[in-house]
Amino acid sequence: MSAQGSHAVHAHQDDGAVHVHIASSQFYWGIFGALICLTILTVKVSYYDFGKANIFIALLIATMKGSLVAAFFMHLRHDKLFNTIAFLSSFLFLGIFILLTYDDLGNRGRVDNDYGGRFQLETGQAAPGGEPATTATSDSVAEEAPHGAAAAHGKKE
Amino acid sequence: MANVSESVHAHGDGGGDHGAHAHPDFLQHHFDTPVQQFNAAKLGMWVFIATEILMFGGLFCAYAIWRGLDPRVFDDAHHFLNKILGATNTIVLLFSSLTAALAVRSAQVGKRNLTSLYLIVTILCAGVFLVVKYFEYSHKFHLGLLPGHCFGHPGLSAAVQNGEEVGTCLRVHADSAPVMPEWVKAADEDGHVRLLSPRANMFFGLYFVMTGLHGLHVIVGMSILAWVLYKNIKGKFSPAYFTPVDLGALYWHLVDLVWIYLFPLLYLVGKPE
Amino acid sequence: MAAVDIPVAGGHAADAHGDPHANYLKAKRGIGSWLVTLDHKRIGLMYLTMVSLAFLVGGIFALLLRIELFSRGKTIVDGETYNRFFTLHGAIMVFLFIIPSVPAALGNFFLPIMIGAKDVAFPRLNLLSFYIYLVGLAILLVSIVSGAVDTGWTFYTPYSVQSSNSVISMTLGVFVLGFSSILTGVNFLVTVHTMRAPGCTWARMPLFVWGMYATALMQILATPVLAITLLLLCAERFFGIGIFDPKLGGDPVLFQHFFWFYSHPAVYIMIVPGMAINSELIATFSRRAIFGQFAIAMSSLGLALLGFLVWGHHMFAAGMSEFATMLFSALTFLVAIPSGVKVFNWTATIYKGSILWASPMLYGMAFIFLFTIGGLTGLFLGTLSVDIHLTDTYFVVAHFHYVMMGGTVIAFLGGLLYWWPKMTGKMHDERKAKIGFWFVFIGFNTVFIPQFIMGSRGMPRRYYDYLPQFEPFHKVSTVGSWILATGLFITAYTLLEALWKGKKAPRNPWNSAGYEWLTETVPPLANFHQPPVFTRGPYDYHLATPEELATGEDGREVSFTTQMAAKESTHPA
Repeated sequence: MSAQGSHAVHAHQDDGAVHVHIASSQFYWGIFGALICLTILTVKVSYYDFGKANIFIALLIATMKGSLVAAFFMHLRHDKLFNTIAFLSSFLFLGIFILLTYDDLGNRGRVDNDYGGRFQLETGQAAPGGEPATTATSDSVAEEAPHGAAAAHGKKE
Repeated sequence: MANVSESVHAHGDGGGDHGAHAHPDFLQHHFDTPVQQFNAAKLGMWVFIATEILMFGGLFCAYAIWRGLDPRVFDDAHHFLNKILGATNTIVLLFSSLTAALAVRSAQVGKRNLTSLYLIVTILCAGVFLVVKYFEYSHKFHLGLLPGHCFGHPGLSAAVQNGEEVGTCLRVHADSAPVMPEWVKAADEDGHVRLLSPRANMFFGLYFVMTGLHGLHVIVGMSILAWVLYKNIKGKFSPAYFTPVDLGALYWHLVDLVWIYLFPLLYLVGKPE
Repeated sequence: MAAVDIPVAGGHAADAHGDPHANYLKAKRGIGSWLVTLDHKRIGLMYLTMVSLAFLVGGIFALLLRIELFSRGKTIVDGETYNRFFTLHGAIMVFLFIIPSVPAALGNFFLPIMIGAKDVAFPRLNLLSFYIYLVGLAILLVSIVSGAVDTGWTFYTPYSVQSSNSVISMTLGVFVLGFSSILTGVNFLVTVHTMRAPGCTWARMPLFVWGMYATALMQILATPVLAITLLLLCAERFFGIGIFDPKLGGDPVLFQHFFWFYSHPAVYIMIVPGMAINSELIATFSRRAIFGQFAIAMSSLGLALLGFLVWGHHMFAAGMSEFATMLFSALTFLVAIPSGVKVFNWTATIYKGSILWASPMLYGMAFIFLFTIGGLTGLFLGTLSVDIHLTDTYFVVAHFHYVMMGGTVIAFLGGLLYWWPKMTGKMHDERKAKIGFWFVFIGFNTVFIPQFIMGSRGMPRRYYDYLPQFEPFHKVSTVGSWILATGLFITAYTLLEALWKGKKAPRNPWNSAGYEWLTETVPPLANFHQPPVFTRGPYDYHLATPEELATGEDGREVSFTTQMAAKESTHPA
């Protein structure tokens, strides 16, 4: 990342006029270069399989890019602290929303395995004491279905 | 701010005199100083950005839920999106973000024509983004990769059905009643035929709603920037007062920011070949 | 007493906005000047008019519902119409009345005055928010005319996806109203952050403003999720994207998560402003510094935060995972902490206070009483095992009416009576106001106490018909609704009568130390003739000068010059 070249006016006169930090053009181009590098990186990385980590790697790189945009293009770095707090708090509440909702949908039928008619989410097998599972999960269907059959070349594009 | 009797120094062309006290034209009657007005506008914009994030957040929540519950489906379905087009659009938007930031900088240092130039480039990039999106969308329509009960609709996937192999594949149901489709086979963007779960409609539903809402924001952003451009050409801005340029650019960066997350989540995550 | 003709620093002479020193009601004349006004006080009054009309219409639907339930079987309408009535009663009361009532009407009027600002930060957005509200209202009217919705105000899927097409216009209307709410929230938050007058520090900020601030936070953070929820509902209807549709692999309970992530904070968007008003009433009429000012302010923020953590308690019986129900139940009990902090602090304020039993104070006391009942019955419903029995019974109906009506509406009425002199410059008839209060109080309890009993015995809510054993309760409840309506009409008449028959109001009829009572009655366009400098807190009765606490029969503004002189000597320009 390029050095933070700037010719900011940091005169501490309290004359009621607006004084902001002004970064140089080169600096913005430097940030842009970093964003492009990260974009290329995230595409390159997507061709490797890291299993469950795939999404976290992608989100990590996206967050790095987002932070660069927010901090420098959107001037948060030199802005009032509360603006940053307002911005970040939206992610906090979004996190609450997703986590607590997932807490329900991701845990259906998990706690009371002992009551009838349930199957274990992880394995699709009947829960102890429950009736045999009659509903198959999409995962178990996928096991049976043939995967990657003969390619249909030239049929599209 | 505390001292109410101080006079207000506007830089540049401001400084119209209303009554007894210096009061630049751009300063609204209920603010004491330009800096108070500037801080209020900025905070308002940031709070508005927070609301936008939470609005998109609902979609990200739906994405997280259904991807979390059924990662396999999303893995398969995402191969039907074109990574290269997605990456191109990402770079176009990042570049437009750069020019938006440079437009603000030019306004801050008072280079009016340069501000206009950068704003025009930003708006053009937004146009390019929409054109690329148009091609992506029409390809999806063509394949019948549509949300919900339109998914694999016969009228919309005719071209695919003509193909021998693929024709048997995309799930076609005679009436468009919303019934759970069956497993389908189709050729993806790399030409591999792969299985698509009936739940893939969820992926494409989210894809269209997320990118559609984002596209709507692109259009709104273009209009805002065009308005700022108009004001700039009319010479409304100066180093003392560039708030609309700043806020317009902030909105544009938000559009970019949302795309920065949409791109990997829709185009990239999942098992590679 | 301040001389009105002191030149005002920082302001400027008469311009497009009108003379900042003129009485805001008279600064400009004509209906046109109201429609394009940027003055927060006028916008507040326009909001007040609209929310009052909405309250009237929603109230008429409530009376019709009660009449229908007076006897078993069909009384006046058939079952389908009944479903539409309760949907309209709920939707109108929630989206058109309670959510905008206190913030957009009273908050708009008093928040800038109470922090010594000339206006809210974005006056044009403020007016826009009012017009967006009108557009939302118009769309809701369209949906009523085009065959009313019968889903209940919650629009649960899958029914809302299948029922009549006016669901679309209804959700669109609510979507638009959400934007109005967001704009108000953004405006208030920025105003509080950037526009406070010198001396109005965070520690001194009036509790009404704190309440509005907490409300704004919730409006900002929750309402966008309602917007996306309703968009998804429309997408579901038009394209069947399947996120909420089990036939396409979705989950209808997910809709409830989306809906309640907004609507539970929305419940606090409704009640926190009521608490905010009540803090003002209790302090003023006990003539005491409010006990635990900081604690009350923080409890507002605490409620705002907790409001985002407990939405699942609306869905205990909807098929959520047991894991989630336990978590949400545990979190729900935490709400009792900030609520308790408020109730105990109000009680402690009253203790050994010098209480003035004016009509607003009657409402203030009623608030504490009724909100406590509403809050404690909430704990019953937050308890998982008890909730299984009480879900979707009249117990729930009674519970949230005790909070919404017994809390917010009571506080709203109290606030109206309290601030009416400042807003209109006219004193109302206290005797009539008190008679109105007793009708409201007795009527309200007569309506809803039988509903608690019915609910605990298993009477389901939203049902058109009922078993014979519930008939006496329904009859009492309906009679109560007539008493309540009488009380509300008496109160409305009292307020309106004051406009043409009321005496001229003094500056500070209740001898309050609050900031809003320092300015002239009626406030000038710029809120204060001199830019205010606050040198004490709004509840510091021991620091307020006799001049400030005096009734001020001539209505003139209190002088800030002495305070300003002191300020300037310590901080030279």
